[in-house]
Amino acid sequence: MAVVLTLMTIALPWVGALAVWLIGDARSRLQSALAVAFSAAAGLVSLALIPYATGGYEFSVFDAGEAFGRFTFAPDGLGVYLAVIATIIGCLAVVFSLDYMKGEHQLGRYYAFVLFFVGAMAGLVLASNLFLVFLFWEITALCSYALISFHNDDPKAVAGGIKALIITGLGGIGLLVGALLAYSYLGTFNISLFLQNAGQMPAGALATVAFGFLAAAAAKSAQFPFQTWLPDAMEAPTPVSALIHAATMVNAGVYLLARFYPAFAAVPAWRITVISIGVITALMAASMAVVSNDLKRVLAYSTVSQLGYMVYAIGAGGIFASQFHLLNHSAFKALLFLGAGAVIHATGTRDLRLMGGLGRAMPVTRAVFIIGSLALVGIPVLNGFWSKELVLEAGFLGGPLWAYLLAILTAGLTALYTYRCLYLVFYGPSHGKIPPHDAGYAMRAALYPLAIAALVTWLLAGPFSRMLAASLPFHEVDLLPTWEMAVEVLSAPQTFLALAVIALGLAAWRWRERLSPVANAFHGLAQAASNSYGFEWLNRQVVTLTQEAGEALRSTQTGQLNWNVVAIAGALVLVLAIVILGSVL
Amino acid sequence: MSWNIGVIVLAGILGLLGVGLYGLLVLRNLIKVVIAMQILVKGAILALVAAGAAQDQISLGQSLALTVIVADTIVSVVGLALAVQVRSHCGTLDVRALSRLKK
Repeated sequence: MAVVLTLMTIALPWVGALAVWLIGDARSRLQSALAVAFSAAAGLVSLALIPYATGGYEFSVFDAGEAFGRFTFAPDGLGVYLAVIATIIGCLAVVFSLDYMKGEHQLGRYYAFVLFFVGAMAGLVLASNLFLVFLFWEITALCSYALISFHNDDPKAVAGGIKALIITGLGGIGLLVGALLAYSYLGTFNISLFLQNAGQMPAGALATVAFGFLAAAAAKSAQFPFQTWLPDAMEAPTPVSALIHAATMVNAGVYLLARFYPAFAAVPAWRITVISIGVITALMAASMAVVSNDLKRVLAYSTVSQLGYMVYAIGAGGIFASQFHLLNHSAFKALLFLGAGAVIHATGTRDLRLMGGLGRAMPVTRAVFIIGSLALVGIPVLNGFWSKELVLEAGFLGGPLWAYLLAILTAGLTALYTYRCLYLVFYGPSHGKIPPHDAGYAMRAALYPLAIAALVTWLLAGPFSRMLAASLPFHEVDLLPTWEMAVEVLSAPQTFLALAVIALGLAAWRWRERLSPVANAFHGLAQAASNSYGFEWLNRQVVTLTQEAGEALRSTQTGQLNWNVVAIAGALVLVLAIVILGSVL
Repeated sequence: MSWNIGVIVLAGILGLLGVGLYGLLVLRNLIKVVIAMQILVKGAILALVAAGAAQDQISLGQSLALTVIVADTIVSVVGLALAVQVRSHCGTLDVRALSRLKK
């Protein structure tokens, strides 16, 4: 049964993608109905998979011989909960799209890629063969590219898509190199065998694998120094941003680090590198969110920042804290993105300076946006509070003090930019047209479940930790019943320190006029933050360099067939010479 | 002087590869280029079969040879189809005409 359910979680969205594509855009009602039906079915199937997560199932669907090993899937706790997130939020994003994408052209392409993505994401987390993981990893990147560039007549959307593809593709090389290296030493792509036998690899090779995977994870999860692609990915339709660039695909990097943590934890300097990347990203992205004037970019920076928290927790050894924060973040960030989608749909702009005072016209959107914001800030009893405190606690216990202080500072900045964003959109004087309508019915159908989730997913801490502890033999996951977690968090002094900093952050926006001398003192920093600390400049330099190198090398391409054959024959001779020399020496 | 089969096959392989490579290097007519490529690939197929026999893995060598034959046929068909297109677009089969793509 676990076999059927696992395969259906992956196959249902893919079959749906094919069906939606084949139906064609002429029958749009049937098309969207099919998209909803298949994504909902995948969500239900993945929910049905939860009871099997602790059963230790692992099965092979195909034996690819010695080259690629057996194509195995293992629905364990870590994989199943991420598959549930992918399919459920995928379903809600599709439902939301019914309103949001109404009247757009080529919706078949849109729904097909969304469903294709959902299936690939489920495959990525359920597969237990590293080669398969790599395949699914790249498929998700491809879907992300196709959906960012969905409006392919918009140069910004096309550029954003290509940027995402190049950066995540570069990171993917790290994953491939790591997987091949592991295979060459251990003779298997199987993940649990790798975790079991990683100690037998030479230290240098294991370190290469560890840092290769870290590069892949950083690129996928938009961590320093690869964080620049995610804000540009905001050209995608908003439901796609909510699904791929907030709730699911960007978590793949965090998933990868968490999955392989037991093998890499002992690699020298690996943990401290992970911690540094996490806190630097969290702080940097939060400061950029404070100065950004684009609603979706604020949310994108905030996603990068929260992912930084998760990476930080993994580096400090808090696997459960990071995964719990991931779960909660998926719920409230998808909610925030879809809420922002409703605002953008109603006002037709993403510029915060052209909004303001929308609360009266859009009370439902405002209500759910407030819930999401409070969860993001980490106000008690919303889900973000619990997991953020657990992350900070894990960081305090397992990481250096400076990282903890930076993480606390980030919590304050998070409060500041979230309050600023909320205020600029829904309160204050109006700077643009007041929209004629609130979120539509399909939008509400997607927003309400997520709002409820943002309020209650922290209650799952107990069952969630039990599921992870029971199904991950190589990880040390503590059993943490919900009640104990609540007591632990509420009795820790760090919690109140964090809450005090959060309160300061909120107060900073409230008293922004009185604090303007302070803000002026940070003017240079704000300038640097809105220029993304020079990373965009660095990206442009790399692009220019590549183009100039291409121009310079153009003369080597004669376009003459005979000369090309000379080059091929020459290269062949060279390779033979190297092989012969290698065997002689 | 004794001619054993190995020497003959080796000479055949090198001869076919050499003729094919020479053709690819100097010929300018696209049809002739395709023919030269065919000769080159025949040398490679012969090498596969011979290597299989030499390593006592005759069936492996032969199955690889069959695979190459299939792939080679497709390449030739595409090459000839391209030649037809080049002829109708450029009015000539000279491969030098194709370097106009660069500009």
